[in-house]
Amino acid sequence: MAGLATTFGSGAMTNSINEIERAEVILVSGSNTTEAHPQIARRMLDAVDRGAKLIVIDPRRTPLATMAHLHLALRPGTDIPLLNGMMKVIIDENLADDLFIEMRTENYHALRDLLNRLDLEELAATTGVGLNLIRQAAQLYARAQKAVICYCLGITQHVCGTDNVQTIANLAMLTGHVEKENTGVDPLRGQNNVQGACDMGALPNVFPSYQQVDNPEYREKFEQAWGVKLPAKPGIRLVGMTHGEPGVTLRGMYIMGENPMLSDPVLELVQENLKNLEFLAVADLFLTETAQLADVVFPAATFAEKTGTFTNSERRVQMVRQAIPVQPDCRTDGAIIMELSRRLGYEMAYDSPAEIMEEIALLAPIYGGMHHDRLETGWGMQWPCWDRQHPGTPFLHKYYFTRGKGRFIPAGHISPAEVPDDEYPLLLMTGRIYHQYHTGTMTRRSHTLHRENPEALLQLNPADADRFLVRNGETVRLASRRGTIEVKAEITEAVAAGAVYTTFHFPEAPINLLTIGAKDEKAGCPEYKVCAVRIDKV
Amino acid sequence: MADQYLLKKDHLKPFIRKLAKDYRIVAPLLNEHGDTMFNPVADLDREEVDLDNQPQNSIKQFFFPQTEAICEYSCAEPGRYEFREAELRTDPTIFFGVRPCDLSAVLYLDVIFLRDAKDPFYLRRREVSILIGLNCNRPFENCFCNATKNGPHQEFGFDLQLTDLGDRFLVEVGRARGEELVNRWHQFFVPATASDSQTQYQALLEARGSFPRQIHVDQAIKRLREGEADPQIWQFLSQRCQDCGGCAYVCPTCTCFTISDHPASATAGTRLRSWDACTFSGFTRMAGGHNPVRRDSAAIRQRFLHKLLYDVEKHGRPSCVGCGRCVGICFGGTDIVRFINLVGQE
Amino acid sequence: MPLSLNHPYLPKPAKILEIVEENPQIKTFVLALAEPEVNRAFTYAPGQFLMLSVPHCGEAPISIASSPAEPGTFHLAIRKAGKLTEAMHRLNPGDMVGVRGPYGRPFPMAELAGRELVCVAGGIGLAPLRSVIKTCLADDRYRPKKITLLYGSRCPDEIAFLRDLDEWKNREGFVGHLTVDRCTEGWEGSVGLVTTLLDRVEFKPDRNTALVCGPSLMIRAVLAELSHRGLPEERIITTLERHMKCGVGVCRHCHLDSKLVCKDGPVFTLAELRELSVMELN
Repeated sequence: MAGLATTFGSGAMTNSINEIERAEVILVSGSNTTEAHPQIARRMLDAVDRGAKLIVIDPRRTPLATMAHLHLALRPGTDIPLLNGMMKVIIDENLADDLFIEMRTENYHALRDLLNRLDLEELAATTGVGLNLIRQAAQLYARAQKAVICYCLGITQHVCGTDNVQTIANLAMLTGHVEKENTGVDPLRGQNNVQGACDMGALPNVFPSYQQVDNPEYREKFEQAWGVKLPAKPGIRLVGMTHGEPGVTLRGMYIMGENPMLSDPVLELVQENLKNLEFLAVADLFLTETAQLADVVFPAATFAEKTGTFTNSERRVQMVRQAIPVQPDCRTDGAIIMELSRRLGYEMAYDSPAEIMEEIALLAPIYGGMHHDRLETGWGMQWPCWDRQHPGTPFLHKYYFTRGKGRFIPAGHISPAEVPDDEYPLLLMTGRIYHQYHTGTMTRRSHTLHRENPEALLQLNPADADRFLVRNGETVRLASRRGTIEVKAEITEAVAAGAVYTTFHFPEAPINLLTIGAKDEKAGCPEYKVCAVRIDKV
Repeated sequence: MADQYLLKKDHLKPFIRKLAKDYRIVAPLLNEHGDTMFNPVADLDREEVDLDNQPQNSIKQFFFPQTEAICEYSCAEPGRYEFREAELRTDPTIFFGVRPCDLSAVLYLDVIFLRDAKDPFYLRRREVSILIGLNCNRPFENCFCNATKNGPHQEFGFDLQLTDLGDRFLVEVGRARGEELVNRWHQFFVPATASDSQTQYQALLEARGSFPRQIHVDQAIKRLREGEADPQIWQFLSQRCQDCGGCAYVCPTCTCFTISDHPASATAGTRLRSWDACTFSGFTRMAGGHNPVRRDSAAIRQRFLHKLLYDVEKHGRPSCVGCGRCVGICFGGTDIVRFINLVGQE
Repeated sequence: MPLSLNHPYLPKPAKILEIVEENPQIKTFVLALAEPEVNRAFTYAPGQFLMLSVPHCGEAPISIASSPAEPGTFHLAIRKAGKLTEAMHRLNPGDMVGVRGPYGRPFPMAELAGRELVCVAGGIGLAPLRSVIKTCLADDRYRPKKITLLYGSRCPDEIAFLRDLDEWKNREGFVGHLTVDRCTEGWEGSVGLVTTLLDRVEFKPDRNTALVCGPSLMIRAVLAELSHRGLPEERIITTLERHMKCGVGVCRHCHLDSKLVCKDGPVFTLAELRELSVMELN
């Protein structure tokens, strides 16, 4: 998000999901789309069935990669050289959209200068992708009338995540593949309402609707609306809370529906910091690993027990309606927060989620026209929706970027924080699978979902299996500088030699004991996708 | 020989009210979100019986619930391990407004659960059920019961069947239980005339002629009987199948299930039977990891061959009843109609 | 209201009387049904299986390894492969399990009389064939003219059913050949896959009946070899393993194209399998 905010001015999908169906070329990077966003994958495949070309950039041969016309199996962490290589090919072969660059962008010369200094053979060698393949991908993408780029956590979960995103934006602007229908840059969000949470300011530096905390005008608006003094400086990010932030002593935390004890990197550090808190409260559906450390646990209600809205990747705000009564002894997060607030001396007395939505509409301009009665029928609305008459916005940056002109922000290769060496010779990537969700709090309680994917598996290339004498199905010891787990090996050609892959859904094999705390400084996103590990026999 | 009566539309609700005195009524009900679903009627005056829209569910779940306890077990000490039948509550039920697709489906379920080994749970529920069918005057968006040859009008298997003739229903008596109901509540019924029968026949012709497109089920079956379908079709569909199991859940004739133990404590638990789908990997995966079915190339092969070939060979007709629910729900675009069309194009 | 006593999903309790450790992975359990009248009435045919319940672990299909000619107890030879089988291995004599069955289509015992029977087994695969061999040796109705057993194991320490092998080798008309995939010190017998033992047999296509059971790769190799040596495909018989749940032909987990392994099998002839798309053959 931070990446697109600086290049385009706004950090969400530029297109709507259904526009992907009508693209001619779809470039997918760092997204295991059929497993993580199956509905978006559906649109991609429908487009392919209609003749669209699919390019997949992913170190692994994911199911989507098997259906792609071009699969660029790059070395993890080399997205910038790969994209720079594509852009260099595009410029060299006169495939750039000069008119668009001239009219709609700024700072092009900085990008052009950087690319001029780079050598294509070297770039290809860095990425491990054949130069011919890079060329093909570049030509295919550049020549299309309508091309979309979809990316996900394979792009952002790196120390250079923001730079990766900016480079993607550069590629789109270079070829004029943005600002039009069925064309653009589409980050796919990692959770069903993370977009909504960000929209509402669940970020340390902004109030709802991305109004900066350190902007006196915005701050005053909220102070007046809420009748309290608000901090003038941004707060600390999630990883700062669980890993510690220099100069900050965190005394207490209230964690709602998140399980950092399994999902944050460097789990030992997380545990230490959570245990050092004076007070920890957790609201969740089940007693998760994090809840087990809490002083107070609030049993929270599920999605089926409450009414409200979710906002998805394409900025669409949709109603979620209560279907069953709130279970005994449980309360909705809203009810818990309001009661806590009251006891802490600040009355919050909303009679209904619809009333809360009215306040959102009042204070968050991009939600200016979002009211429950408008959202009740149909399929919701996409922000920005400025007022009651506004129908919502299917695609962003039509005719102009949110920030005026799109800005090229060139970047060179930034190496991952930790790469394989003699002691830890393999590269570990982490991700998700279809049947489990995050730390399995909900999914592992479903008998059928559990059966489909009952245990953690470490994907290992046959060459490495031979090298380390590992048989298929054998339990091995996987270690990094930070921790060790035992996990069952799955020998497959889907990962390249030198790299291994596993998921973070299983508490019995808590992979985040091994992952690294290094993060993208601008976005705060940890580098889950790269760290160095070794395999030993058990 | 079916007797035929007329029931005025004005008298429908009063008739149902009378039925409700002796039976649980399950009928299509329209809820406040605009969804029509078969559900037990709790309050006839507060709930809306909807005979205009296709219910999103079939009545399968009332004979074969999504989850049910098949037995309880206790293992208090290592030397003791006992099983007890689970309690099965059955309410005599009238299923009202069951369209030909769903009614044919029950006849198929009867074969699966009762013909060879009698399934005690299904039998108990079926024994106390009465089926009042409702012929269709027009197909819904995804219907193709004409192609599966079990609609839009049903010829047998019902206890009573209604056909909407405008201001009145033609009521056909199928089986003895239907006759009993008509006799018990005779005040609502007058004999139908030949002209009414004729009107019903006209309605059938009109319904038959209203299908928006023809689905070539016969051709697909013929092709499958000739030999293995092109593996590329299996692969194409298997890659796009999103492994959600939705088709098996909404399908009125899917009967695959799994059995699992659910401990209640260290010394006792319940053994449950629950719906399953042959499209899931875990459906066939063996202990040790071997799987005779490769998901990426054959995930949906058993599903379609079962419905369109194996059941034809075993029972004489496909088990797909053309209700179109899988077409409506499939997120991957890999429903049975897509398959039939692909096989037809070969 | 209670259902009928012939509820097909209600297991009957059975007690473990004795446990024989065949090798680190395989144990043979000697069991009897808990209720004496039920135990007396219990019978089965070689090739059939039981659905075995272990507390909290659900059920799994296990071939019956004993012979109906030796009633009073029945044997289940179990290899550790997953949750249920590992739990089973932790049980002791006196502990209880649950069983349903017998299920499945058995071996065509009547067809074996007077034939020259060749049994080819790998590892735990000997279990159902053990039932056949014991029955053949005990019951003249099914007595083949000759029984040849070719038995392969991973290594010498893992050779299972040693007591049975020892007993059979002294029986007239029985010949047994063993082989191991890899040898260890002290082993003087054959080394190689069980297919290598086929050369030891003088096949007579009009007199032989072959029964094959073992891991899928082994089944594939052996069926091909037997066919290659001219045996008619109706006389090449195997028994297949599949994931099962109901055991009575309704739940369809064991689907094999149009067949269900629990009802139409687990015993199949190669001729029948040729009509189907079978993992063991492809």
